Amino acid sequence: MAATGKREDPAFPVGAACRIDSRSPWRQIAEIPVGLDPEGIAVDVERRRAFVACSRSDFVSVVDLETHEVIREIATGNEPIDIGLDEQTGRVFTADAHADQVTIIDSATLEVETVLPVGGYPSGLTHVPEFRRLYVGNSLGSTMSVIDLDTLETVATVDAEPGAGAIGVDPTRRLVVCVNFVAASANFYDADSFEELGRLELGIGTCAIGIVPERGEAFIVNSIAGTVSRVDLDRIEIKEEIRTGSAPVGLAMHPSHDRVYVTNRGAGSVSVLGVADGVEWSQIPVGGGPGGVVVDRHDGRILVANAGSQTMSIVEDLLATRPPAPVVEERSPWIGNRLPAFSLEDYWSGERRTNHDWAEKKYILNFFASW
Amino acid sequence: MRVREESRSGLEIVLVDIWEGTEPRPEVERFCEMWGIKGPILLDPNAELATTLGVRGVPTNVVVDSDGTVRAFGAARLEELEQAIDELYGR
Repeated sequence: MAATGKREDPAFPVGAACRIDSRSPWRQIAEIPVGLDPEGIAVDVERRRAFVACSRSDFVSVVDLETHEVIREIATGNEPIDIGLDEQTGRVFTADAHADQVTIIDSATLEVETVLPVGGYPSGLTHVPEFRRLYVGNSLGSTMSVIDLDTLETVATVDAEPGAGAIGVDPTRRLVVCVNFVAASANFYDADSFEELGRLELGIGTCAIGIVPERGEAFIVNSIAGTVSRVDLDRIEIKEEIRTGSAPVGLAMHPSHDRVYVTNRGAGSVSVLGVADGVEWSQIPVGGGPGGVVVDRHDGRILVANAGSQTMSIVEDLLATRPPAPVVEERSPWIGNRLPAFSLEDYWSGERRTNHDWAEKKYILNFFASW
Repeated sequence: MRVREESRSGLEIVLVDIWEGTEPRPEVERFCEMWGIKGPILLDPNAELATTLGVRGVPTNVVVDSDGTVRAFGAARLEELEQAIDELYGR
């Protein structure tokens, strides 16, 4: 991972208008240590702060986006996993998965204002300023909580399916889409009546969604299948499957809606997908095991929560348009070479085991994390 | 996948836990209970082996031949892993 330290290159000031096409069409600005297992990010554009939900630390790290330093850690409920910020009220919302609640933080004082009970294991949330609504996907409850952003009252609890988490909203069609990780499906609701208008079977491990209202399309990430489904919102049908990097989990739309950023937990990268052409334009390396991703509207930089390396990456996408050459995934230099010697503790016995224990055997080392 | 391949070809799949950030045993215990995992699990709490190999994400599969040579790396998608296993056995 090629992190670039804390300060950006003065040759490329914040918000640089120049975009270039090159074989490395990105720039890494910083990789900032935060809490354990960071998963979600929200940006306070006005105050130049990022709020990072650190699910295993049970707090939100507040990062100054000018100095790239953590300025506060705000305790939440158990396992804050997703996060959003409502600019009108200045409230930050965290979905505290193991606490079955949403914590509400005042972004001005950086103090917890209150908590709201929701369904079982809330793992995704989306706020829609136009509707003054916060939508929360409750994975174990198989429901979607709908909360008034101003009064903080729960106005509806809607049946969804197992693994309900990420939620996308099309304000022009007044359509709410709840994505269900376990059921590998999406439910489509009328935003006013919550009547279910349709249901779609998707790839395995559906976990993030982005909406492009002007195209009438949604982009839904299928983490285990390793694809993004392009969905027609009028017909409620899949138009195309777009291949990404390994184990995609997070998604953010570029403000211009010409591209989608998808974090690849298995590859340690962000795929840049063209909205019009459905092609992977590039892959930007970030930290280990990336998940949550947002675009900072101030300068267009991409902020990524890296669950593995316990950091937040700030990177710039320098592509002006689709590049002429396709993405070529880097081949590991270990292929064709001998695995280095290792000696690791066996979880079951507590004894050390080495590569010699598997001498003259074919085997697979499967690197994993429990989160 | 693990059970099927072990019974089909004798291929052993060794899990290596990384990036927990805390004491890994309780996390691995919970993970094993949730998913019913019983096979070999190694702990790499400081991700030393992972770093040496250039692992950047999870899951990452490293397919090793009987002479210790790495034959495939990454292979997170099911079809990629199946292809790597087929190539390992010359199928």
